[in-house]
Amino acid sequence: MAVSAVSVAGPALLSRLVGQIQARILAPCSQGSCLHTTAQLNTKNWDRKNRIVYPPQQKDEPPRPAEVFHCRRQIKYSKDKMWYLAKLIKGMSIDQALAQLEFSDKKGAIAIKEVLLEAQEMAVKNHNVEFKSNLYVAESFSGKGKYLKRIRYHGRGMFGIMDKVHCHYFVKLVEGTPPVVVQKTPFDQAKEYVEQLRSRTIIHSL
Amino acid sequence: MSLTGFVRFLRQSLQRLESDFIQAVGLDRSLGPALAVNGPSLLPQPNNSSEPSFLDSIFWMAVPKKRRTIEVNRCRRRNPNKMIKVKTNIEPCVQCGNLKLKHTLCGFCYEKIQKETSLIRRQIQNMEGRPLNTPAVETVVLYENETPGEADQGKRIVERSRKRPSWFNL
Repeated sequence: MAVSAVSVAGPALLSRLVGQIQARILAPCSQGSCLHTTAQLNTKNWDRKNRIVYPPQQKDEPPRPAEVFHCRRQIKYSKDKMWYLAKLIKGMSIDQALAQLEFSDKKGAIAIKEVLLEAQEMAVKNHNVEFKSNLYVAESFSGKGKYLKRIRYHGRGMFGIMDKVHCHYFVKLVEGTPPVVVQKTPFDQAKEYVEQLRSRTIIHSL
Repeated sequence: MSLTGFVRFLRQSLQRLESDFIQAVGLDRSLGPALAVNGPSLLPQPNNSSEPSFLDSIFWMAVPKKRRTIEVNRCRRRNPNKMIKVKTNIEPCVQCGNLKLKHTLCGFCYEKIQKETSLIRRQIQNMEGRPLNTPAVETVVLYENETPGEADQGKRIVERSRKRPSWFNL
């Protein structure tokens, strides 16, 4: 009797359970909750930035320039040393950046040059950029990759743990001429600071 | 007689000074505690036998007093003298259009010439056969459909089976 009741109620129970599990999985995505939901194949943030699609622009809006995001992971170079190269080409047009990197003596310059050329090709092929020279480097920075650890032998039986450093390199190319950055002189900076101090008032006063 | 007495006096005073000095420093062993029973009468010796160990010798090394803050570190790392300078001596090559430095040969053109030169050298190696077989005459390279001229009479001729490249004149 009990066995037959269980066998009858079994499929219904199972289907209800499955439905509940499905609802639990789908609910966060539909409600947009603040839980950190990661997909099975972990795509990183910078790679996903190329996938955003904006709605069509209105006629009165200024034309939005095309943006291309590209990165390379686990380059065998130090993130601090890579930062100097990234800072060099920040804000330059892509031709100028490629020229500087071609004649740089640093090891990371080869990797960055390849990344820039790949990004330029991607821009022309996939992102509707008309002229490949009409790009400039809007953002470029380096990040820490995963380090391998090795033993470095010292005297007297001591040892140190040696890190085999790796880094990531990220770049964002934007269509158009590079914006002119106004160089702020130290005098101007000092003047601004003094004005900021002078404009302070006493709050909650009469 | 006063001289010998004087010398004896000096010797005695020196010995007295020496014994006083030894007693003052504490190297004298005779004034240990006198016991009725035979026991260890020696003063405890300072342990000078073992070498100062590794951990003792680090007390006299230069060491940072305080941790360098990230602001101080950034000021040093981002100082303009550490940043990479923008090169202003890059210009396009007149022949091929690739970029080159002003005071340097164009890399692309040099690569192209290197390839042809290596082929000529291989040809010469085949002609000579063994090392140290170079004839004591000048060499001239001739390409397809070229005959040696009057100036090339006494020279060794190296034949290359292709059209003369545009950059290889005469």
